[in-house]
Amino acid sequence: MMKTLLSADFLKIKRKGFWLLTFLGPFGVVALQVVNYGYRKDYLLQQSDNDWKYYLLNVSSFIPLALVLGIAILTSFVASVENETNAWKQLISLPVSKMRVYLSKFTVLACLLWVSSCLLMLFTLVYGIFLGLGEEIPYLDLVKFSFYPYFAALPILALQLWIATFSQNQGIPITTGILGVIFTYSAFTLPDWMIWKWPSLINDWNEPIINVLLGIGVGAILYIAGMLDFTRRDVK
Amino acid sequence: MEYVVKTKGLTKSFGKEKAVTGLDMKIPKGEIYGFLGPNGAGKTTTIRMLLGLVKPTSGTTHIFQKDLKKERINILKRVGALVENPSYYPHLTAYENLEALRKILGVSKSRIHEVLEIVRLSDVANKKVKGFSLGMKQRLGIASSLLNDPELLILDEPTNGLDPSGIIEIRQLIKRLPSEYGMTILISSHLLSEIDQMATTVGIVTKGKMIFQDSIEVMRMFAHQNMSLKVSDSEQAWRSLLANGIKSDYKDGIILLSERSNEEVAKVVHTLVQDGFSIYRVEEEKKSLENIFLQMTKEEREE
Repeated sequence: MMKTLLSADFLKIKRKGFWLLTFLGPFGVVALQVVNYGYRKDYLLQQSDNDWKYYLLNVSSFIPLALVLGIAILTSFVASVENETNAWKQLISLPVSKMRVYLSKFTVLACLLWVSSCLLMLFTLVYGIFLGLGEEIPYLDLVKFSFYPYFAALPILALQLWIATFSQNQGIPITTGILGVIFTYSAFTLPDWMIWKWPSLINDWNEPIINVLLGIGVGAILYIAGMLDFTRRDVK
Repeated sequence: MEYVVKTKGLTKSFGKEKAVTGLDMKIPKGEIYGFLGPNGAGKTTTIRMLLGLVKPTSGTTHIFQKDLKKERINILKRVGALVENPSYYPHLTAYENLEALRKILGVSKSRIHEVLEIVRLSDVANKKVKGFSLGMKQRLGIASSLLNDPELLILDEPTNGLDPSGIIEIRQLIKRLPSEYGMTILISSHLLSEIDQMATTVGIVTKGKMIFQDSIEVMRMFAHQNMSLKVSDSEQAWRSLLANGIKSDYKDGIILLSERSNEEVAKVVHTLVQDGFSIYRVEEEKKSLENIFLQMTKEEREE
């Protein structure tokens, strides 16, 4: 049941540029470092003893922004596929539970972002090796830097999907999405409880794993809230 | 009698406004049920409630003798629906559109070609729906509603936006379905003529209330028409008819006959000609849906 819903949902995002966006996000993040290191590699290598770690830090500084922006665009795209001709009414008239419909949409988005994170890791690794930052590649850090922000951003994904499904006007999720990007941009100054701060992995205890756990926990709560709201609401 | 759809006191209010009030709908098996009413009467809201898209404020719905509230998914497996304007994914081809629904319904792939054949879209199966005309989109919508070979087919204004040949095609298709596939059909429209040509049972709704529900024959009795005659010196002519013992009314220079059998009309014409009146026009006055509504609502009030 879930499998068929998912495969239908993946069919629906064909030719809409979803996969291109999924690729462009991580590509852009690493491309910025290509420019950065391309211009002043010698200067950057002098900044730190551990060239790999310093490189990963540089890459990761743009991940939260790309991630939050990506979430905003992808969620509103996914909702617009159904909103465009009000296909929700057709979809919900099928013998499927509304919870599963919502879960399927969330899963599609989570999958796309997961692919993005994988690509991010790959691109980071490839350019790192190309730069010749040293024989000892910190794989564990590489995985952390690539996937921790993903988990920490789950609450934003759940919130944006919720907003995108109940808004008739797609201007609303876009607005909250852009606000989210601005919040993420100013993550340093935000209090710890703001979900937009979490993907930057900054917190008072200097323990990124806290953001990951918080992300999964609060993400689940927001997801369930959104799903229950979706099942309760009348379909327009 | 076995009812495929049976609602009891179905009510839906949006805030203070009541869209549907205490609706009792009964659709016998194998019928084409014409759901008639002006725009905004609550037809679409009712249909949405039948599909579980909208939760009723109060009242119950049973489809196939099952409670919609408890067994929505089991019921919807046997229902096909087209609600309001057709929904589609414009960036996908007609085939892909149906494929997206087919996956969820779990029917065989060959069914897609079958339904495309039924609505005559086979030639454009691999074209994006974006470029389709409204009529083609409507037919694609009907194709999707037929995909799971439903026992109950719900079509909300299915001939909207179709050209005359398309309307005839769809009408013939709809008429064929109950006998060939044993389907029961609920079809909504704001056009009496539309319903008149297809339906076997009629439900009329206005301002959220069901004001009539019976077979089409009973409905036709309500819609009986007058014969109007335009003649020279009409008042004089009317008096002469009365003098000859023919019941008729006179209004604004026109003579109205409520009896419209061929013999009666012939007799009237004969009498008038004999008395030396010139007959300009003999017309059958068709009552519009509006008039029937007025007539019915008037009777409602008098009861």
